[in-house]
Amino acid sequence: METVPAQADLYQCSVVESRTVGAYHLIAFVAGEIAAVARPGQFVMIRQSGPALDPLLPRPMGIHDVEADLVKVLIEPVGKGTVVLTDARVGDRFSVLGPLGNGFDLSGEGPAVIVGGGVGVAPLALLAGTLAGRGRDIRCLLGFKTRVQAVAAGLFRDVDVDICTEDGTMGRKGVVSDLLAECLIGLGPAAAGVELFTCGPGAMMRAVVDAARECGADAQVSVATHMACGVGACQGCVVRVDGEYRCACNQGPVFRAGELEWR
Amino acid sequence: MAVNMESSLGPLRLRHPIINASGTFDVLAADRVLAADLFADFPFAAYVPKTVTLKPREGNPPPRLYETAAGLLNSIGLANKGIDAFIADDLPRLGRLPVPLIASIAAEETDGYGRCAGMLDGHDEVAALELNVSCPNVELDGKALGCDPDLTARATAQARAATGKFLIVKLTPNVTDILALAHAAVEAGADCLSVINTVHGMVLDPWTLKPALGHVTGGLSGPAIKPVALRAVYLISRELDVPVIGMGGATSANDVLEFMAAGATAVAVGTASFRDPLLAAPLVQELGRQMELRGIASPEQLVGRSH
Repeated sequence: METVPAQADLYQCSVVESRTVGAYHLIAFVAGEIAAVARPGQFVMIRQSGPALDPLLPRPMGIHDVEADLVKVLIEPVGKGTVVLTDARVGDRFSVLGPLGNGFDLSGEGPAVIVGGGVGVAPLALLAGTLAGRGRDIRCLLGFKTRVQAVAAGLFRDVDVDICTEDGTMGRKGVVSDLLAECLIGLGPAAAGVELFTCGPGAMMRAVVDAARECGADAQVSVATHMACGVGACQGCVVRVDGEYRCACNQGPVFRAGELEWR
Repeated sequence: MAVNMESSLGPLRLRHPIINASGTFDVLAADRVLAADLFADFPFAAYVPKTVTLKPREGNPPPRLYETAAGLLNSIGLANKGIDAFIADDLPRLGRLPVPLIASIAAEETDGYGRCAGMLDGHDEVAALELNVSCPNVELDGKALGCDPDLTARATAQARAATGKFLIVKLTPNVTDILALAHAAVEAGADCLSVINTVHGMVLDPWTLKPALGHVTGGLSGPAIKPVALRAVYLISRELDVPVIGMGGATSANDVLEFMAAGATAVAVGTASFRDPLLAAPLVQELGRQMELRGIASPEQLVGRSH
């Protein structure tokens, strides 16, 4: 992936928007320095400012979108840390370290297919907007379990998205890898020239990677792991890449599909 | 009242009493990510890199981390590139730091401590050595040799014989009598003790009810273990006549004050750096303010005040 300059810093940021988006929670905070340089696929480490020791550590959140001096994240409240973050109110202060990680490699020029699942769609919105802004031919395929999650597809601005839900309550009924298979079949031999970008649950991304391999397309995969530091110190967030452990934080979180080993 | 923050740790001159705990702050990695110029303006008074071993270790299978109540359970497994690569790749760069370098070494066999210490002895960049005796030991069926006073003494003596550098032994709290380990290390030649390493612990995933870490068990760090660490610092510093580096959950200036009053000459910040990798500079400033508020003019006036 592209290496980014050493530019991350810690900021105390005011929350200006905090609202439910179906099953998820959207938070926007003022972080002009981060917004100015953030690349699609990068992330921030965020926690509520203050001395409270529980939750102790910040949580890694993919940058969902940037708008002027605002940075937006989309959070699924699944554990102690994420639930506390979703309790944030307008005016609260966040401690934010970022931007972190290498992000997606945007140097390709061919058609792109973006495949997201669940809260993994979060960082793909900025990616889709950026690629569309560069005039790249893109398709967005987003899969969710059910309608209450799928409303997050509305956060993709200025790009068309194809949606599926496992229970059929919104969009097509099925899983997103089925949408991808149809999309690739429809492209015929041109599918080999497509570049795939994916973020979501492990099983979903694995299906995407398998589909990419079958048709000879390249894929970039954004992984989510537990992190403590976000800056390569703790060695806690490792994934297996090319036969060795690498930190998702500073050597990812985006990896080439071919180099990533699935457990 | 002007507070003079300068401290001494044996022969090491420190600008202030706060250093980092091994494995929690990687200046080379951070320098590639953070905008701050860490080499020009290094926030800690000494730098302790991640532990290195004779041979590279790939570490434990993930997941390696799980946050607990005011704590962090980890099972990194001493992942490191090995001492040869450390000497070739890292030492020249770490030598540019404006603070003393304390190399942390571990070995799977007791003899390895002497070999590692000997390999670093000739390198002027290294001001001191810290022995991490919590590495899984082959002579103890994978248990940490730091749990055994005799093996701790042997490892310390091996390192002592191999180097004239200031020698620190980092004690594990996962023993019945940490004082016995402290005595064993000092009698074998340790100049200083780091107190404490992580506390053995375990977490189950509340949904699957299976161990949350790939390695099943791990080491607990963070504010949750501070009282455990404070007690150990207190007991050891009252009884032994070597400087103690206090560590285990120190996060705030008041935590640092407490560790020093309990008997620590210097305090290492560990897990708190994961909350904020840039916390050291404001922490030092706040420590000075808190000392001033209490009428404490220097770290020497603070060390062991609770005794």
